[in-house]
Parts: sequence; structure tokens; C-alpha cells
Amino acid sequence: MLDVAKMAVEAARRLGADFADARAGLDETESLTVRNQQMEGIDRTTSTGVGVRVLVGGRWGFAATSRLDEAEVVRTAELAVAIAKAAQRLPGEPVTLSPVEPVVASWHGGVLEDPFLVPLEEKVALLMEATRRMQGVEGLSFSEAALDFFRRSTWFASSDGAAIDQVVTHSGGGTEAVAVGDGDVQRRSYPNSFRGHVKAAGYEHIRTLGLIEEAERIGREAVDLLHAPDCPSEVTTLILDSGQMELQVHESIGHPIELDRVLGMEEAYAGSSWLAPQDRGNVRYASDLVSITADASLPGGLGSFGYDDEGVAAQRTPIIVDGIFQNFLTNRETAPVVGQASNGTSRADGWSHLPLIRMTNISIEPKAGSLAEIIGDTKDGLFMSTNTSWSIDDKRINFQFGCETAWRVKDGKLTELYKNPNYTGLAPEFWGSCDAVGGREEWVVWGTPNCGKGQPGQVGRVGHGTSPARFRNVQVGVR
Amino acid sequence: MPGLIGADGFGAVSEAALAMDGVDGVEVLFMHDWGGLTRFAGSEIHQSTFREDTELRVRVVSKDRVGVAATNDFTRAGAARAARSAKEMAEIVAPDPLWPGLAPKAEVADVERFFASTADASPTTRAAAAEGLIGQCPVGFTAAGAYETQAVEVGVANTLGQFCWSPSTVASLTTVMSGGEQGSGFAEVFTGDADAIDAEAVGGRAAEKAVASQSPRALDAAVYPVVLEPAATATLVGFLSWVGFAGKGYVEGRSCFSGRHGQQVAAPAIQLWDDATDPGTLGASFDFEGVPRQRVDLIRNGVFLDAVYDLRTAKQGDVASTGHALPSPSPEGPFPLNVFMGTGDATVDEMIRGTERGILVTRFHYSNVVNPMESTITGMTRDGTFLIERGEVVGPVRNFRFTQSILSAFSETTMVGRDAELASEFFFSASRVPALKIEAFNFSGVSDH
Repeated sequence: MLDVAKMAVEAARRLGADFADARAGLDETESLTVRNQQMEGIDRTTSTGVGVRVLVGGRWGFAATSRLDEAEVVRTAELAVAIAKAAQRLPGEPVTLSPVEPVVASWHGGVLEDPFLVPLEEKVALLMEATRRMQGVEGLSFSEAALDFFRRSTWFASSDGAAIDQVVTHSGGGTEAVAVGDGDVQRRSYPNSFRGHVKAAGYEHIRTLGLIEEAERIGREAVDLLHAPDCPSEVTTLILDSGQMELQVHESIGHPIELDRVLGMEEAYAGSSWLAPQDRGNVRYASDLVSITADASLPGGLGSFGYDDEGVAAQRTPIIVDGIFQNFLTNRETAPVVGQASNGTSRADGWSHLPLIRMTNISIEPKAGSLAEIIGDTKDGLFMSTNTSWSIDDKRINFQFGCETAWRVKDGKLTELYKNPNYTGLAPEFWGSCDAVGGREEWVVWGTPNCGKGQPGQVGRVGHGTSPARFRNVQVGVR
Repeated sequence: MPGLIGADGFGAVSEAALAMDGVDGVEVLFMHDWGGLTRFAGSEIHQSTFREDTELRVRVVSKDRVGVAATNDFTRAGAARAARSAKEMAEIVAPDPLWPGLAPKAEVADVERFFASTADASPTTRAAAAEGLIGQCPVGFTAAGAYETQAVEVGVANTLGQFCWSPSTVASLTTVMSGGEQGSGFAEVFTGDADAIDAEAVGGRAAEKAVASQSPRALDAAVYPVVLEPAATATLVGFLSWVGFAGKGYVEGRSCFSGRHGQQVAAPAIQLWDDATDPGTLGASFDFEGVPRQRVDLIRNGVFLDAVYDLRTAKQGDVASTGHALPSPSPEGPFPLNVFMGTGDATVDEMIRGTERGILVTRFHYSNVVNPMESTITGMTRDGTFLIERGEVVGPVRNFRFTQSILSAFSETTMVGRDAELASEFFFSASRVPALKIEAFNFSGVSDH
């Protein structure tokens, strides 16, 4: 397949491209869903193809095809060149790429147990048993369990001489208990919502999840929620669990630090950012307790790789240090705007898409203390767990997020249970009110395999390491 | 540009999967799509792309056990390989007690949805349209947006003899113009025929909004009367489809309409239906199981009538499929992709004139569900939010966050626009909807821009 990528690059150069790179790819997936001990869905997919990106006269062109014969690859390169030439119709600054040393390398993400080789019977049995355990809870309506496996093989070549092959493998699983009654629906998920906990790992990750062991607990909690009162509307102290912190970091820090958004490249679709290019080192984003790092080498992170889709090596970049904003996520095109080289975040949703700036693993640095200690140190407030809903404005300031469950914290103890909790805020104010971040023992590397961005729409697979955290004076219970 | 593979080409390849021995049934879903997109920002073309792909999705049934395998290897060998993989899965899993059987042989409506103007649109054509749109940008403003032209052919074949195939096209041009003193304007057009797009008119509408949006002032969050332009209405309709009209949630008691058949759920002025055969919509006239898409009256005169179903949820609810299946496996169940809202007799200007103090909303942004059983969603306004006082638009306001029950909003609807537009929503397909005047709409927060 590397030969296919090289063929595309060579064709593009022959056809007049000043620069070209190409990615041949193979994506494989397997998904299983069991509901109430019945098979709800099982499927496997494979997708192969090649995408070629060119610069002609400082303008990008990109074309992709699923047919890999020489004539089609050359035709696709030709189309990419034609697209770039058409873009010259409008005036503008020519694209200048930050330099990168061309690499010839091979990188495979670590997997102990290939999830695609684990027998289907074993996977189905796990999901059946998890839903059987949930179904044993009186009053529960639906029990669901799911497994998802993903493997992306990429062969990258560039006209600079880079030749890289790499493989990433992701495995995930989760359970969901749904209680329906009296015109209400309540759900509890484990280990996280939206099909669970996905990591860059093999089937060994699934074996650690405890889907069966936790099944009854989440079943009971879903039923309990049906009978709980609604979350009250008030301004209070808010403690978020590690899973909800994943969403909080993703939406209100991960996206606004993407330099393409800052420069307006996504403005008409998902929006821009409240940050400006000159804000590096000058803007307080959060309290002193908050430090955020982008790390594409984080073990287990969905945003981990050897090289990004421009052939730039994986990097670890400080984003926020002690509350002060320091660095954007950049690619080769945008990094020169802030006087830097790319920090290696350019990734595409497979062979058929143009690489964009994507989060790698955007994590909050752990501080000290367990969740129990943070709760124990709180006189009055709410503890919310597990995301259900998210909404944020086009500049990533005003947000409103919902959780599956909340408990009143009173004098350091969890007391009353509430359903339908949510909270709202303005990102810098909210992060500025953070006065506790949990320690390494509570720090979990979560996966977000469904991050949408770009036109045509792309789905990114990104990671977040998060601990529980506490925020003061937060509006909760929005109606 | 690539051409259509065609019904014969699909049929020849699908035979290799349909011939699978030792199983009770096989279904092949075929999708071939190609499309170009010219994307612009800062009034420059910055990302232009083209992609072509083909998918064969093979569903194999053996003793009520079902497996699905998909490949983009569009060859007889690829189809046969996918069928073997699906069979392997079907032989391992437990029987599905809700397995309804494959779609029986049935005629599908003949709809004309394929326009060469869209399928053959070149990068130069799209760039010229972008240039025409950007040419409408006022001095000191820039345009961002995208012009996309897509062609797709869909086919379904199964071992019960059902065979259907349909080509269609979609062209969309969307823009946000911004600049000056913190304000932006939005406009879009969706159509099957790229020749029907007037790029300069789209640019002109966005420019007008952007200029009018300058220097927005902060207004307190509160309950206001609103005038929603069609793009904003489309958000409410899209989310109501998700939390209400999708058949799986309905039959399982998880829909805001569960148990409410025949009840008044909205103002009498609200009419909603789904009809894939109407010339005013996009896409094929059959669903992804090969069942003809039926017209379904969802809400008539404010009364809830029905949800939409695929074969499995139809069996679950003891009704017939309405032809609203998504590609298998589909844990989320069926979904209405061709929703219409009935028009009324008011213009947007008349709605504004009839408003003592309220808010004019161009569109919503990044909405999501808060409480599905109450049909409550939250989201932001964006790219043109204005204060109305004494029947006139008096100026722009900063963007609001809303937290609002859709059915409550529809119950408070007093005026319905006389013109409907095909309008998109961030997460859903486009629906054809008019503007609405709603007497009480809950804005729960304010942003800083």
C-alpha cells in the first residue's frame, strides 16, 4: 500500500504539484450490541482507498478514491491538481508549510491481545451476561451492552521523501441500564456513556472493564433515578466525576485551542474560538490549579500515534500552565502564523478526508486527592456523574452540559439523589472557579471516538486524561 | 467526474452475495457516492476536496440470527467475502426474537432526484460560485462557507426478490459573513439541482444580516415571543424527529409521544408529515431495507398521529413498516429523513409587525437534548439575532442560550410562514419548513457576543 501512496505523490508531482502527500489506508471495525440478552446488532466493516493532497501555487487540492489501480490513482492525483488550480480563482495568501524533516518509519500502537482475533462467541457471552445481570434488577426496562473495535492502517508518502506506515488499534466497551415509567426515562451507563470506555489498546482493555461486575449497580441506580426529584435550580459548588470532566475538557478547552478555528477556518460550520493568535502566554484561561497538556504519546489515548497525517512526529505540548494559556494545537499550515513549527495534530478521518487540526490527547494534569477526599472537603454542593448532553456556543464560551445523575453533598457526604441534572457557565469564568483537581489515582484516560469537525464532516478519535474536579458558584438545574 | 454504476452494475455484483448457500436470507445494500466541496474562509478558498467511495453492506440471516458485514471492495469477490463474514457472525449469535424477515418484493415510487448539473459539477464551477458569493461581502467583512455537490446511488437487493435502485443528488451552499463590530450573518440553500443555486443571492442575504448584526447589545435572558426563520424552525423539527417520531423510542415508551396518539400536542396550526416521494425533498423513495417509503402524517392540526417504523420496530409495535429504516444494523432504529411542516399564510414581516417585544432568530447552533420526554432541548442563537419592539426590528442582540420544550413552543405557535424552505440542522437531514411566530420561548442564558 505504501507503493500506492508513492504512486499518487509521483503522479501529482508530474502533473504540476509543488508539494504532494498521500495516504493509502485500511480501516477495519467490529461492533456488537446486545439488548436484554438479545442480539441487537453485530457488524464488521472494511474500507480501503487513497487520498492525495497537493499544493499548486500555494493552494490546496485534495481528492480520494476507493479504487487503487494505477489509472484511477493517477486520475485522482490529476483531479487534486485541478481542484488546487480552481482555488486560485480567488486571491489570497499562498499556503506556507512549516518545515518537517521527512521520516522513513514504521509505528504500531501497542496491543497485547488483538481484539479482531478474540472469538465472537466470547464477546457475545460477555455482553449477554452483562445484560442478564442488569435484567435481574426489578423495575429496569432495558439493559444494553456493547463492544467496539477499530483498527486503522495508514501508509503515508510525501514529495519531501517521507514514507511512514503505522497502525492504531482501539477497543471499547460499556453498558447502559434504562428505566422507563410514569412518563419518564432514566439511564445509567458504565464506565461512561455513549458505548463506554474506548482506549488505544487491545482486548486486554475489555477484560479490565468489569462490565459484568458493575451491571447490577447501574441497573439499580437507573431505577432509583426514576423515583428521584429533579435537580434543583441554584448556584452552588459543583463536583464533576472524571467521566464528565472528559466532556468538559473536550468541549470548553479542546476545541477553542485549535488554531484553525481561531483563524476562522471552521467559522461557517462548528464555529470559531474566543481565543486570538496573540493570546499565547497572555490570557488567564483557568485558575492556578489547572494545567492542560496535549500529548500524542499518551499510552491508551485515542489521540496517540507515531506520526500525524502530515508526517510530523507525535509531541507533548503544554496548553495551559497554572491557568495561563500557552499554546494552540497546530499543523504545518497554521503553525507559522504563531511563529512555530507544527506541534503535530493534523489528522484525517481515514483515507478519504483532508487532514485537519484535531485534538490529540488533551488532558488535565492531576493534582492531589481522591474523589472521596474532594467530596469530604465540601460543605454544600452537588456531585454530578456521567455525561448525557452537551451544547456550547460558536466561540466555545457559553456552555450547558447535562449528566445522568447528581447527589447533594452535605457536610462532606453524599445525601439526596437527583435526576436530570445540568449546569451552565461561561468557559473562562467556570475554569477560573476550579479549586480542586483530583490526583493521579483518580486520573483516567478516556476516549472520545465521535468528535465531529470539518466539511465534509469528519469524525475524529481523541483522548482525554481527567481527574474529578470541583468548581465554585456554578448555576445548576437550568430549565 | 465518475458516472453511475447503475442498476445492472449493482445487480451483477450483488448476485455474488445473494448466492450464499446454507442461509435463510441475504440482503445487499449498495451505496456509491461522489462529491466535491469547495470551502472558503476569510474570503479565500482554503480547503477543496473530492471523494468517491462505494459500499456494499451485506446482511445475512440464518434461523433468525443476523450478521452484517460491509466493504468498499465493489467486486463480486468483495461481495462474496462480505457475505461469508456476515454468515460467520449470524451462525454465532443468538436468535433475534424480533427478527421481522427481509423486505418483501414491492414496487417503489419512481422519483426524479438526479441532476447532472450537480453530479458533474467541476471544481471550477464551485469556485466560480464561491467567487460570486464572496463578491457580495461588504467592505470590512469576510465570508466563510462551503459549496458542496454530491451524487449518490443507492440500491437494495434481497433473496425475497426485492430489487430497487435510485440515483440522487444534493447541492448546498452555506455561508457566514462576519466583520466590523462583532456581528455575523448567515444564509444557505439546499437543492438537488446545482443550476438552481443563485450564489450571489445567497451572499446578498448573508451580507444584509451581517451588516444589520453589528454591535449587538446584551439583553437579559427571559421568556420572549420569537420569530424563527426557517433554519431555526428546522432545528426544532429535527430534534422532535429524534425524541418523538423515531419508532423505536415510541414503541418502547421512550418518546415524548408515547401513549399520546390522538392527543393535542401542539397548536392547530402545526402540521408535520414525512414524505420521500414529494418533489420538494431529497433522496430515494425506499429505505435502506428496500421498503417503499410511505407518507406518514406525524402531527395534523396539532394532534399527534403516528411515528415512523422500520421492519423490526413495526413488528415490535405490531404495525407495518413505514419504510424508514436506516442502514443495518441500526440499534437506534428508524428515523424520518424527509419531514415537511405545513405552511400558513403569514410573511416574516407580518410576524414582526405583530410582535410588541420579542426576538427574531436567524438560526440555532449546537443544540442538544435536555429532557427527551418533555422534548426539551438547549442550544444557542447565532449569526443574526435581533430585538423586535413595537412591530419593528430595532437592533441586534448578543446570542442567547435557550432551554425549551419543542412541543411547548409548538403549542405557543400563533403564526406560520407562507413559504417553506429546505433547511438543514447541524446533526440531522434537511427538512422543508416555514418561519414560525411563537409567543413564549425560554432564553435561559446569554453569551458575550
